[in-house]
Amino acid sequence: MLTRRSTFSGWSSAVATLSWRGVSHRFSFLFFGGLAFSLLILSHAQPEAIGALRVHVIDTVAPVLDAIARPMTAVENVMGSLRDTVSLRADNQKLRDENTHLVEWQNAVVNLEKENRELRGLLNYKAEPGLSYISARVIADTGGAYTRGLIVTAGKTDGVREGMAAMTGEGLIGRVVEVGDWSSRILLITDLNSRIPVTVAESGDRAILAGDGSTTPRLMFMPRDAASGEGAHVVTSGHGGIFPPNLPVGTLQANDHGVYAITPAADLGRVTYVRLVDFDLKGGTFNSIESKMRAESKKK
Amino acid sequence: MPSVVAVMMTLLSVIVWPLPYLGPVMPPLAFIALYYWSTHRPDLFPAGVAFAIGILNDIINDFPLGVSAFLFVLAHQIIWQQRRFFTGHSFFMLWSGFALAAGAMMICQWVLISLVQWQASPVLPVLIQTVLAILFFPLPCWVLIRLQRNLLSTP
Repeated sequence: MLTRRSTFSGWSSAVATLSWRGVSHRFSFLFFGGLAFSLLILSHAQPEAIGALRVHVIDTVAPVLDAIARPMTAVENVMGSLRDTVSLRADNQKLRDENTHLVEWQNAVVNLEKENRELRGLLNYKAEPGLSYISARVIADTGGAYTRGLIVTAGKTDGVREGMAAMTGEGLIGRVVEVGDWSSRILLITDLNSRIPVTVAESGDRAILAGDGSTTPRLMFMPRDAASGEGAHVVTSGHGGIFPPNLPVGTLQANDHGVYAITPAADLGRVTYVRLVDFDLKGGTFNSIESKMRAESKKK
Repeated sequence: MPSVVAVMMTLLSVIVWPLPYLGPVMPPLAFIALYYWSTHRPDLFPAGVAFAIGILNDIINDFPLGVSAFLFVLAHQIIWQQRRFFTGHSFFMLWSGFALAAGAMMICQWVLISLVQWQASPVLPVLIQTVLAILFFPLPCWVLIRLQRNLLSTP
């Protein structure tokens, strides 16, 4: 009798525990699922409301990411050195040829610079604002299959501002879209949301460089009678005051049924260090023209 | 402990590995951690942790906030309900379960992100990422099994 009663009470307590677990599990699923869905709606309706949270979280995890990324950067540096050693002889020959070519160019540049200075003096030309650079190390390559971005180790304390152009030694890779105290996020030129005004250096044709998620971003709004051919150099146009003009972006690919795409000058798959370009224009965001007009009207 | 491991795996999935062009097709380590702990130690990996890992994944990857959090909480619930099916047999069953879960997760993620951004995201990187995640699964899974055996007592 005693045994039967104890067995029954054991079963009932087990059933009670199970059902309590099930209920609490279901409740937490509904609660957190609902919370996540509400956040999704909120972030879509008011993205600026959660902007500060994003920056704060990135700033918090940046030191951890930095610590994890350091050994990887060291390995990448060693691998880069090995690659360089293997191609040493070929690179040496290539550099000798290039040097001979550049010496010829140097003479031409000296003459052109002198001529330019004289002509600018005659025209009372106002020089372009100077550029300065902030160097930063890449600690995260984010976005997976959906967005293309980098997190770098420089923030407000280093003088980074939203809208700055990000470059490697070869060319433009993107722009700063979020700035924390110690870290920043860069949106790459290949991201779906990236739009940059550019010019084809050889022909002067203007266009908007638009990322499409692939490694070769497209040129939108190219003139129908564009005279630009394959291999032409694409540079930033400087329109809108977002980026300084003439930053190298890439080279034009063959026109595929009216669709122009570029091969980026920088190797976006191997970015370990970046230079953030401090362009001496106030703003750097999309309303910079408006703010400049406001400043001018105040002066008047 | 499972939550700390999941956070570390989320961070590991975005660091710059010395393999060029890995970033866009990097297997989702956060989801692998979620799948493993939801099947093996759901008592130490509740829905709140799945939510937090999802939020971290969204913020780090610049996804619309709530996408991964919502899908991770949903996946956690389904995996929790089916965990006996996934863990009761062999490693092959666990792997097959992951393939099923990862496939469904990637499709839902693609649909949600494309809907929120009102623009179809490229399909090819998502496909490659899913295939890599399934092929790559035994390696992080082996690390997680070792961690569980060494640091946690079995339930």
